[in-house]
Amino acid sequence: MLESEYQEQNRFFLNMGPQHPSTHGVLLIVLEMEGEYVLDPQPVLGFIHRMHEKMGESRPCPGFMPNTARMDYVCALPYNHGYVSLIERKVGIEVPKRAEYIRVITSELNRIASHLLWLGAYLLDLGAFTPILYGFDDREHILDILESVTGSRLTYCYYRFGGVYQDIDDKFVEATRAFIKRLRKRYTIYEKLVTKNIIFIKRTENIGIVSPDMALRYGITGPNLRGSGIAYDVRKNEPYSVYPEFDFEIPVGEQGDCLDRYMVRVREIEQSLRIIEQALDRLPDGPVRSKVPKNIKLSPGDCNFAVEAARGELSYYLVGDGTSTPYRLKVRVPSYSNLSCLPELGRGILLPDLVSILGSFDLVIPEMDR
Amino acid sequence: MDKIIKDFKGYFIDQGFDAIETDHERRGFHLEVVLDANQVRKFAETAYELGFYLVFVAGFHVRPDEENDTGNSGLEVVYQFARYDRQYRMKARASVPNNKKIPSISDIYQGANWHERETRDFFGVIFDGHPNLKPLLLSEEDADFHPLLKEETKLKSLKEISWTSEAPKVAEKEPETGTSS
Repeated sequence: MLESEYQEQNRFFLNMGPQHPSTHGVLLIVLEMEGEYVLDPQPVLGFIHRMHEKMGESRPCPGFMPNTARMDYVCALPYNHGYVSLIERKVGIEVPKRAEYIRVITSELNRIASHLLWLGAYLLDLGAFTPILYGFDDREHILDILESVTGSRLTYCYYRFGGVYQDIDDKFVEATRAFIKRLRKRYTIYEKLVTKNIIFIKRTENIGIVSPDMALRYGITGPNLRGSGIAYDVRKNEPYSVYPEFDFEIPVGEQGDCLDRYMVRVREIEQSLRIIEQALDRLPDGPVRSKVPKNIKLSPGDCNFAVEAARGELSYYLVGDGTSTPYRLKVRVPSYSNLSCLPELGRGILLPDLVSILGSFDLVIPEMDR
Repeated sequence: MDKIIKDFKGYFIDQGFDAIETDHERRGFHLEVVLDANQVRKFAETAYELGFYLVFVAGFHVRPDEENDTGNSGLEVVYQFARYDRQYRMKARASVPNNKKIPSISDIYQGANWHERETRDFFGVIFDGHPNLKPLLLSEEDADFHPLLKEETKLKSLKEISWTSEAPKVAEKEPETGTSS
């Protein structure tokens, strides 16, 4: 028997998902396999597609606010932030300083919650059960804090055009400070449990290396890009809100493997804590919402606003036509571009490594499918 | 910063593209480029050489321009590019010719592969040279259903949805005030 015939006979297709535990939602990956090696992984999207863009184009712009939280439900506040900032830029609404500070504090808290959830879920993918319990324990504190001001635990709709829905009180500030103190104490636990764990390192080091050129060709952003050593963060690169007023660093990795992506996210938690601390120290007084027209008219012309969500660059692109309903609303979500490199990245690797790569990308499926 | 912006603009104009500088504060990008359908690939190649990454590919639907014979399918494709190393974002727009075909850039920017499939799903634009132009977000049975195409009555011409030269201050002219929710 010829070798090519032998290989042909040993190839088979394997459906990973849409209910596979390591895809964190309804993502199907059709794998062409040879033994335990993956030859061609092809993601199949659209299982939870809801056509958010059409909804954005068929109602006046305030009506789209709740939708923004239902794309990336794990880190919804930056999605709120991008949309309100887009309309504010388009219409020319000034935002009070205190409101911007509150936006930054709550967005960063949400980012930490997202990274903690990812940390637990990723380790669960790799076969470690315990870290998710610690991660969820810490995340619960953030959800409680955010619930006290936003009224919801996951799908927030807290920001408004020209400000936020309601002011934060002393209790919120106190609880946030207590949380910062608590989380810093927990670092050592995570370090002992995960970062220095030899099994974890073996499963992630030198696995799924994303080169800078590959990142550029696919438009990869966020921690997945920074793991490859490129210090690109919309908060620094294209500053918005009051981020330029804070002192924080952009953690980067070295070679872009799964371990680098893990380390970048873990170090980002500390940077987010630093931003929150500075914002609480310098929180200005004043109103949290400016007067805006009841009937917001979007003038003709297009407008773009990019923010840094927990998974990378989130871009809203809007075309106005003089009415209050957007003529066209495009949402560029980070996970969509991030995952699109999988067919190239996952060629010729072992199946368990594919699980490790998928987890390290921090995918949120409702965000990709929109 | 200004020098860098002029550099890119000058470079693109030298390469034969119609590039206009835009106000980043107001619009969110620094450069706007209007392309012919046959310039799309050359533009993508130039952007890749300069080190831009692809942010997204999207479409939108306008009323066809009666005076324009070749580009009056009413479909427009928008490409957005940005940089990792500095603050620079640009938008390129191309009108899709009558046959609804526009060259694919998915071999230059592999990330465009999914964005182009999505644009085909929503608008029915055919990307010439795309390796796998199957429905991505919509189901295979709905290959001919394009949800973002607008009804005839709601269509506006490209001119009606473009920036006018004077600064838009619609919000301040509105007499009634209140809070939106």
